[in-house]
Amino acid sequence: MRISTVGFQNDAVAQMQALESAIAKTQSELSTGLQIQNAADNPTGMAQVNELNVQLSASQQYVTNGNAASANMKLEEQALTQATTVLQSAQDLAVQANNSSLSASERQNIAAQLQQQLQELVGIANSTDSNGNYLFAGYASSTQPFAQAGNSVSYTGADAVNQIQISANQRISAGDTGASVFMNNPAGNGTFTTAAASTNTGTGSIDAGSVTSPAAWVPGTYTISFTSPTAYQVTNSAGVVTSGTYTSPGTIAFDGVQVTVSGAPAAGDSFTVAPAGNASVFSTVSNLITTLNSTTLNQGQMTTAINGALEQLGGAITNMDNVQASVGARIDAINSSQSTAQSEQTDLQSSISQLSNVDYTAATTQLSTEEVGLQAAQESYASLAKLSLFNFLD
Amino acid sequence: MADLLSTSVSGLLAFQEALDTTSQNVTNVDTTGYSVETTNLSEAQGQSLGTGYVGGGVEVSGITRAYDELLAAQVRSSQASYSSFNTFATQAAQIDNMLSASGTGLTTTLQNFVNALQTVANSPSSTAQRQALLSDAQALTQQLQSYDSQISQYSSDVESQISTSVSQVNSLASNIATLNQQIAAAGSGQSPNQLLDQRDADIDQLSQYVNVNTVAESNGALDVFIGNGQPLVLGDAAQQLTTTPDPYDASSLNISLVGSGGATANITSEISGGTLGGLLAAKTQILDPAQNALGLISVGLSTLVNQQQQSGMDLTGAQGQAMFSIGAVETLPDASNTGSSTLAVTRTNLGALTSDDYQLQYSGGAWQLSDTTTGQAVTMTGTGTSTDPFQAAGISITVSGTPANGDSYLIRPTAGATAGLAVQLTNPAQIAAASLIQATAGTGNTGTAQVSAAGVTDPSTYTPGTYTIAFTSATAYQVKNGAGTVVSSGTYTSGTPITFNGAQVTLSGTPANGDTFTVSPNSATNSGDNSNMFAMIDALSSSALVGGTTSLSGAANNLVSQIGVVTQQAQANASAQQTVNQSAVDARSNVSGVNLDEEAANMLQYQQAYQACAQMIQTSSTVFNSLITAITDGSAA
Repeated sequence: MRISTVGFQNDAVAQMQALESAIAKTQSELSTGLQIQNAADNPTGMAQVNELNVQLSASQQYVTNGNAASANMKLEEQALTQATTVLQSAQDLAVQANNSSLSASERQNIAAQLQQQLQELVGIANSTDSNGNYLFAGYASSTQPFAQAGNSVSYTGADAVNQIQISANQRISAGDTGASVFMNNPAGNGTFTTAAASTNTGTGSIDAGSVTSPAAWVPGTYTISFTSPTAYQVTNSAGVVTSGTYTSPGTIAFDGVQVTVSGAPAAGDSFTVAPAGNASVFSTVSNLITTLNSTTLNQGQMTTAINGALEQLGGAITNMDNVQASVGARIDAINSSQSTAQSEQTDLQSSISQLSNVDYTAATTQLSTEEVGLQAAQESYASLAKLSLFNFLD
Repeated sequence: MADLLSTSVSGLLAFQEALDTTSQNVTNVDTTGYSVETTNLSEAQGQSLGTGYVGGGVEVSGITRAYDELLAAQVRSSQASYSSFNTFATQAAQIDNMLSASGTGLTTTLQNFVNALQTVANSPSSTAQRQALLSDAQALTQQLQSYDSQISQYSSDVESQISTSVSQVNSLASNIATLNQQIAAAGSGQSPNQLLDQRDADIDQLSQYVNVNTVAESNGALDVFIGNGQPLVLGDAAQQLTTTPDPYDASSLNISLVGSGGATANITSEISGGTLGGLLAAKTQILDPAQNALGLISVGLSTLVNQQQQSGMDLTGAQGQAMFSIGAVETLPDASNTGSSTLAVTRTNLGALTSDDYQLQYSGGAWQLSDTTTGQAVTMTGTGTSTDPFQAAGISITVSGTPANGDSYLIRPTAGATAGLAVQLTNPAQIAAASLIQATAGTGNTGTAQVSAAGVTDPSTYTPGTYTIAFTSATAYQVKNGAGTVVSSGTYTSGTPITFNGAQVTLSGTPANGDTFTVSPNSATNSGDNSNMFAMIDALSSSALVGGTTSLSGAANNLVSQIGVVTQQAQANASAQQTVNQSAVDARSNVSGVNLDEEAANMLQYQQAYQACAQMIQTSSTVFNSLITAITDGSAA
């Protein structure tokens, strides 16, 4: 087969150029460390790498979000612990005050201590984070949520709290509203409140009572009237519910609930049992302060009121414990999602590296193979190009 | 007279010419397009001398050029294919390089923007985080625009390369026509090998620019046809190509043939192969679609973010304003339109928007829309008036004025979007992180239902005011507006949104009969409300594009990988075609190329023959001298 001289030369040069271009590519992979430099090198690989990088970035953001949220939640936990301590001291003070042998000035002393605790509670309820945002204001985080006028504290914050995204499919509440922590506590025992009538003259008092059968309880206002120191009648809007005789202390049961009356009620004295709504911790404490400072209440009414306050303080502490538990659970959720994120990120990074990073061993071997090939092509061309019949003519 | 002397002299002359040809071959060993020449020797006419025919020696009957028409055609067609793929691959690789920066690509910048939204959600009232969000929005805008302007630059480079290639084609065409004339003038005698070589070289060069086919005429001229059979050179007449502005877009060049009287005929669709074919394909298959796809991403970003901004409340208590401005739909009339109609086109449906271009034509008394990328007709709803515009493919078209039959417009819904993308908000307080509405439980509620979310889903249908959601049982509710009119009612399940007038409220828990919830405009004191930030994050990650199949990030990633696939394919095609071209060139070269060893051997052969002939002449002289000597000697005796 006939071959032209220039054709032979061009072919050899073309082959050398192809080898050089392959070497250049391998060298570029080695120096950048990447085997996918352009999407054209591996379109699906590049798309995967981009997608994985997006997931990695999102995962890192979720960890950041979690850090921000748990910092605030820890502050909230501290506040709740402090508030619980204050309420427990208030409880102790209330138990102290529930001694019929105390003098009026001793009771006023206790009331003064309770006043300090009320102020402390308001301070805790208005606590802020490091940026000056109020912890218990919900959405209205730039405005102080609790306003005090005399001993009356009202909540002006929002009813909803922010969420934080801690993982690809988890958004959790970043806090709790002041309403849910401090305001919406159960009044009485949670189902009903008890009170002594202001016209009572005897020494009878009533406790907070309890529910014996929730299904049998008929919500409504009940009046326990003492027709004589030993006989009572329980009436509600429908009429007489039950009646009975009384000795101190005596349990009165009706419609799935029971209350205990102690002391000596006079004829005509009465006690009311009413459905419970919500009571704020502030109103519980400030009502107790008012009760202890009173000069008009008799012992029975005082005892009844302190009984009610004790019950409500207990309810408030339980509520606060519940909120604290949910905060703790959320902090746990953040920690758990962050440790999952750590291992996810490690996996993502190793997948990305596998797809896009060059295998140095393989590439270096390839480079030396290609170098050998190029050298062989160059040497062989150099020796063959010299051959010509003209060299041998005289 | 046929005798020893004249025969030998004929040999000398013939071998001298053969040596000349050999020398011509050797000196042209490296000349591109040179075809090796062979001296054809034939026996000269003999003479009858009664005792037999005595030969007259040797004569050169011609100098033949080694040329195979089929091999030459293969070289040209593979050259045209290779040039076309190579040009196309080069254009594609430019876009591929631009988009492929790993770690700083579009998907990363988009994710940074979403991360900034999360950071604002973490502390919505913080100015620093809001400012960072605006900066990330700026960064995203800048990256999109840098890609867009680079594509525009590449497009304008392509146009200037088209112009240059057309001039080259024209100059080659006139060269070929001139050579055709000279070759025809050489007559039917000896073939003008040098002229033929030159013409072949010109046609080879032409095949780099465009597909070439040749048809031989009887007088030796070659007619040249380019592309899909467009005549470029007919005999000694060369047609001229020129570039004409596209009737819709003057910056886009069409290729036209100049006819008699200067009239131009657009032959762009007939051009294929070569650099011109590659450039035209790059325009329609890479550059325009990439710019449109980028525009679709910009429109998606702007639409989703702006709608969500308007569904929320900013730090000042006002309804959020649009964060981005975006380039309008490009509506380009055909330069030859004679009617007086005008179009107003807006984008109305993000999910139905495509990255194709459309042609709206008035013919037969009706407006018809077709997709210029697929060629398919597109059905429109509506009548085209401002109250009932034409709607199709995510756009809405209002026509006013009087069109003439045949008038048409090119509509490019997304091409100009990115160039007009800009961040309009300057004050970080303008970011609408909070919901536009708030929902509060009635103070007398006895059920356990609580508000878990409240937001505006469609700012265009939301009517601000105070609404009341009233439960008539644990599962039935009615929503009334401020005037007491029932605007919505339904069955309640915990966690399922209650919707009314473009707003939506989600409750969880069990309401009691008589429970109410009041929905009112949000107050500026709720500066810590971040619910709209999450709505924006959700909108950006939702599959809002391409008929509900693709998210914004997905669209960005698809663009990168699609360009990657096209580039990879084009590079593979170019490489394969280069191999085909190389072997076609080799095959032709093996027939037409000079082999120095062969020429050396020929030189030896002709040299030897020349020397032999010279020796014969010496012999003839010796014979003659012998005769003369014999006669002279004889007379002297």
